[in-house]
Order: sequence, then structure tokens, then C-alpha cells
Amino acid sequence: MLAFVARRLVISVGLVWAVASLVFLVIHLIPGDPAELLLSQGGIAPDPAAVEELRERLGLNLPLWQQYVSYLGGLLQGDFGLALQDDHPIVDEIALRLPRTLELVGMAGLISVVFGVPLGVAAALRAGGALDRVFSAAAGLALSIPVFVVGTLTVLVLAQQLKLVPAGGYVPFARDPARHMLLLMMPAGTIAVGLGAVVFRVMRSSVLEVLEREHVRAAQARGVAPATIIRRHVLRNALTPVVTVVALHLGSLLGGTVLVEFVFNWPGLSGYLVRSVEARDYPEVMGIVLVISALFVLLNFLVDLLYAVIDPRVRHG
Amino acid sequence: MGPIATRRAMLAGAASAGMLPFLRMPGARAATPGELTFGLSSFPPSIQPWQNTGTAAATMKLLMYRGLTSYGPDGALRGELAESWQPIGTQGWEFKLRDARFQNGEKVTSADVKWTIEQIAAERSTAYFRAEMQGVERVETPDDRTVRIFLKAPVATLPVMMASYHLPIISRNSPRGQFVGAGPFILKAQERGVSLEFEPFTGFHRAGLPKLKKLKAIAYADENLRVAALRSGDVDLIEYVPWQSMDAITADPALSLDTVDGAFMFLVFNGGRPPFNDPKVRKAVAHAIKREDLVRAAFFGRGSPLQQLPIAESSPFYNPEYKDGWKYDPELSKRLLAEAGHANGVSCSLLSTAQYGMHKDTAEVVQQHLAAVGIRAELNMPDWATRVAIGNRGQYELAVMGTAADSNDPDGIANFIDGSLAPSYVRSYGLKIDRITELLAAGRAEFDDTKRKAIYREMEGVAIEQVPMVGLTWRSQGYAMRKAVTGFRNLPGALTFYSGLTFETTEVA
Repeated sequence: MLAFVARRLVISVGLVWAVASLVFLVIHLIPGDPAELLLSQGGIAPDPAAVEELRERLGLNLPLWQQYVSYLGGLLQGDFGLALQDDHPIVDEIALRLPRTLELVGMAGLISVVFGVPLGVAAALRAGGALDRVFSAAAGLALSIPVFVVGTLTVLVLAQQLKLVPAGGYVPFARDPARHMLLLMMPAGTIAVGLGAVVFRVMRSSVLEVLEREHVRAAQARGVAPATIIRRHVLRNALTPVVTVVALHLGSLLGGTVLVEFVFNWPGLSGYLVRSVEARDYPEVMGIVLVISALFVLLNFLVDLLYAVIDPRVRHG
Repeated sequence: MGPIATRRAMLAGAASAGMLPFLRMPGARAATPGELTFGLSSFPPSIQPWQNTGTAAATMKLLMYRGLTSYGPDGALRGELAESWQPIGTQGWEFKLRDARFQNGEKVTSADVKWTIEQIAAERSTAYFRAEMQGVERVETPDDRTVRIFLKAPVATLPVMMASYHLPIISRNSPRGQFVGAGPFILKAQERGVSLEFEPFTGFHRAGLPKLKKLKAIAYADENLRVAALRSGDVDLIEYVPWQSMDAITADPALSLDTVDGAFMFLVFNGGRPPFNDPKVRKAVAHAIKREDLVRAAFFGRGSPLQQLPIAESSPFYNPEYKDGWKYDPELSKRLLAEAGHANGVSCSLLSTAQYGMHKDTAEVVQQHLAAVGIRAELNMPDWATRVAIGNRGQYELAVMGTAADSNDPDGIANFIDGSLAPSYVRSYGLKIDRITELLAAGRAEFDDTKRKAIYREMEGVAIEQVPMVGLTWRSQGYAMRKAVTGFRNLPGALTFYSGLTFETTEVA
């Protein structure tokens, strides 16, 4: 088991390094010079001498391999470097924004599971009935509406028309807990519309599949109480694919909440990544991608552990 | 089994319903008298005083820093840290400083002005006005309140240059890495990428100003959310009002809209190779585009056609005789193309960016109009960073651009038409028209307004024929605010991005 974990760890570290290197190469290959861009804001011609000066100061005139070695050297010492735009320490910015994205993604996942799992079970147990049809149709609708449409409609109706909530933004929890939660619920709820529908569908089909298994039929034949059958024999088995799907979605959401962050002005990691790419701020892009990759790998580890909790065969096998 | 599951589903439903009242918690911010929340279009990448890092940063710089001169609410040049100025011969200017203080409490002296100019002109400087300040021969400081700037060549526009938000005077005693200015607001806190908070500087040199007790600028990159934030009461004032929202804001009795035709869209050429190294082909492009279609399609009717150089109609240097210099005339375009040897039309690339809707929409309309006269333009619309790089390297044939002039002085458009300057994405590549360069230099060196008008009239005549750029449309640049906000003004013409100056007189009831 230890050897397995060690092997997985080495592969994971290698994967993170490969992703970081690939992104380093790609962002340096695409056109766009950060120094030129930084001094070209507002559509005004920068002084070429000033651009050269800035390139030299930022180390952008060094050969690519030297920049790469310097970057990896910094990483090994836990130093992500400084933002090209304003010399701000990147690690500080990631430390500030990562919890916001984790909070957003976590809350979206929680809402999705809280609604998707029980409704999925209910629909499966009444497969073909009115309840199933209504829930399935609603899930289909939720899946077909793009997340930015849900977000924009939320802002339009709740903030602009009814003036019930703010039109997005962010307030630290420590400063105003109630307002923080209110501002969090809107983007999290928006993500959860689609994610909850996915959870519902996977849960429904998974329960239907488990209900047909022999051990469930045997339990029913033995006269075991229906609630016990669902709790002990159906739910546990049916949850495994749900955990896989939720984990994969949450992983991709770590760097993929950009539309929601944009629509609700939520200052998380995805928006930071997009702005860094736009500004060709190489150290920022590298740092953010590295953190997201590492978290994705970590999430996969956690999922493996969760499998073991849900399914004893994994634990003992 | 069924009834149990249904009961659970009901419980889950009830639990979820319990969350609804939480979502209904009133969130819209109640307006606080004296405190203004400003919706910025983007978070400034840097607020280094002498660098050009965009208009959002420029607005923040106007709060914190001030230069020797600036602009009044009517757009007229006024004294700021200098109370008066006058030329000394043809190559010198004397500025008399007023009794002003920096935000660290120290007096603004001529030594600070000298130090500022030296910093900007320094070899390792990345300042926007580095080249211009390197044109300063010497700075004399006969006393604390007098500064004399002598230039290597006559520059009649120096007082206008000194009003730029990229040329504020900074205390020479600023701590290393910090910049202490003499603006009306002090930066108290900032959350990077989110917001900046300012408090009034009680020692500001205009007595009784600023009027606000607090100013908070929050970045809303999404233009629709910026409008939603204004309409829901989260912010009091927003910049860069999207054109599609202007009608709705005008119709809202709680809001007011202040717009000016300040910024403009235009086309630039790669003049270093065929087909646009031929002025006839460039002129054919200029006459092929129906500007009214552009105003409608790209700016929802919020703008006006621009068929000459971008000198505002309100400017004393405006030349009405060239009003229709590049008017829509497709037959003339076809004739010019034929005369240039392209009777069967010509193919080219058209560079723009998909990142900004106004650039993308403009390019698409231009493409259609060019096709109608036989110019087959293939669109290339990368992200903005790539577009800038391609433009600076001249890797295009025809390109869409949009910006505002440096000032309302005609020298403010030199950047867009002077081909003797270093290559830049904002002007045509490899297109040097000697007569335009000569006339721009002559206008810059001439102190007599009547003579300057004649010089710029001749320059525009040359430009209409040689077409160093093609004016397309003026676009409305708008600020929207709650009716409770008073004292804020959108400055006229090219000065629209200087409107942040009027935060000093802004009040919130």
C-alpha cells in the first residue's frame, strides 16, 4: 500500500511539473510582450526605450532557458516570484484568492449534493412517475442553460429589478459575515444550478442500476425494511459514481469559475488567471496554474480515500 | 420504500425552502451622504505616477497626484500647483508655484519640480513622458516658488503637457518605492484586484476641497454588472457606461448620464509595403466606409461620424472645410483603386481584437463596406495583447484602433499621424509623411495662436490627401451617476479621461 502511495506521489509531482513546464512554454510562445503591454495601456504608444528598459528590469530579455531555470529554482524555494505588473508577491495574491475560489466551489458542491442526491433518489424510486418526470425535465432545463445566463438573470432580477441583493461583489467574512454569505450564495447558487442537475442525473441512474442488483432483490425477498435497504444497500453503492462526478467537476471548477466570477465580480483565482494571461504576466500565470494543478491532484487523492470509506472493497482490496 | 423516500424528499425540499428568506436579505447599499462609491471599469495594474497604465489608473492618479497645470470643469487649461506661467524667449517657460503642500505635509517647491523632471528623464525611467523630458536642457530654481524650464527646442505646448496625468509633481522626499503627491485624496487602503479606498487630504491647496468624506473605487470589469451595481444602488457613479445601456439610464429618473464625444475609432495602415504604401489606395479605403452604419452597429447610435482628423468641433483648431474630407463615396473609392492599378480589387488582412466589442464590431462593418468597393479584407481578431504585439511589429496590412487624443490641442494627435516616431500599434506602420512631421514640429514651436491655426489647417489638408490614418467615428464616452451625486463633470472632447479631476468638487447628498 505504501509503495502504491509513493508511486502515485511521484507521478503526481511529475504531472504538476509537466503542466507547469507546458504552460511556461506555451505562454512564452504566443505573441504579446508584458513590458510592451504594460506601457501600452489606454491605447497610447509606449516609448520604445522605456519598453526595453522595463524588459531588462523584468528579466524578459534573458534567454528562455535561463528564465525557465530561474523560475524552477524559485519554485523549489517556495518562491513564486513577483507580478510583472506591480512587483506584488504572487504567493500573497494566490493565498488571498484561493480560499475565495475554494469557498465558492465548495459551497456550489454542497448545494448541488444537498439538492441533487435526495432528489435523484426520490426520482429513481418513482421512476416513470410524475415526480420523476418533473424533476428530470427540470434537470434537463438546468443543464441546458449556460452558467452566464443564469448569473446574468440572477443579477437582473434579484439585484436590478427587485433590488433584494447587491449586484455582486465581495466582502470578507470577518468584516461582515451576513453580507459575505449573501454575496457568496449568488455565484455558488448559479454554479449549483448546472452541477446540481448533473448530480441529480447521476444519482438517479445510479440508484436505478443498484436497485436491479441481486443483493438488493435478495434483501427485499428476505423482508428487510425498505428504509434499511436504501440506506445500507442502495445509497452506499449508488454514491460512488456521484463522488467521482462531483470530484471531477469541482476539480475543473478550480480554474473554471471565470464566467461566474466575472458576472458576480467575485475576486477569485479564475478571474485572476484570466487577467494574468491577458496581461502576459508570466510568473502569475505559472504560479496560478501550478497551484490549480496541485490541488487537482490532491483532490484525486482525497477521492480515492473517500472511495475507501464508501466502498469497503476498495479499503480491503 | 416509496413513501419513505418521498418523505425524505419533502424534508429536503423544506430545508431548501428555508434558505429562501436568507436569500431575500436586503443587500442593496443605502447611500451614505458624503461618501461616494465609484464603479471603475478595471482595477489599475499599477498606479506608478509617471507610467501610462491605462485610464482607470489615470483616474486614480488624479485623486492622489497633481501636476503644475490641469483642466477646469469646462476643459480650459488652469493652474494647479503652478498659479501662473509665461514663456521666456522661445525655449523657456517660467512657472510660479502656489502655496501648496504634499500629502506628507511638506511644501511643494521648485526643487520638487526639478527632481520630478530628472526622475522622468532618467536613463532607467519607464515614464510615458521620458522622451519629452529628455528634451529639457536645464531646470533653474531661483527660489522655492519659481521654476524655469529651458528646452533644447521651442515647445509652445509645455503648459498643456504639464497638465497630463502622466506628469504629476512628486515630493523629492518620498520614501523609496513610494510616491507622495499633492492631490485632493489620500490612498488609505486597497485590496488588490478589488477596490481602493481614499480619504480627503485636508491640506489640499484649494480651500474647502475636496468635499467628499470618503471615496471608494470598486472595479467592475463586466460592463453590465457595472450598470446593475449603479441601478441597484451599490455604487453612486460609474465610468465607461456601455452604449447599449445609455438609453435605459437616461430613462431612469433616479440616474443621470453625462456623455461627450471624446474618444474615437480609426484605421491605420502598414505603409511599408503594397497595397497601402500607395496614398490612392489609402484614400480609397477612407471613402469606402459609411460611418453612420458604424455608429449604429458598434455604438448603438451613441457617437458621430468622423470624416477628417480627430480634432473636436469645439476646438479653436477645428477645420470645418475638411468636415467631409473622407466622406462616403464608393464610386470615388473604386476610381482611386483603378487609378492605383487595382481595378479588379485588392486583398488584405484587417487586424482588430475580439476582446473588445467596439473593436470587433467596427472591424466587421468596415470589412463589409470595403468588400463593396472591391477590397477583400480577411479579419484577424486575436486577444488584445497579441493585437498590440502584431501592431507594434507591423505584421498587418490594415488595422482598427480606438483611443482618445492626449489633449484637445492639435499636437495631441501627433501620436497617431507622425510617422517619424518609433513604430507603434496606435499609428500606421512604416508610413512617414515628411510634410506632416514638419508641420507638427512647426506647430509645436509656434507661440502665436493665429499662426498655429494656419499650420494645423495646412497639416490637415496634407493628411486628407496622404491619409496617414482614417477617421471612422467619434464614440460617446459616458459617466452615469445617481441624482444625489453633484459636482462631477465629464470633461469635453479628448479630456474625458481627465474627468477624475472633478472628484474634488463632487458631493453626495
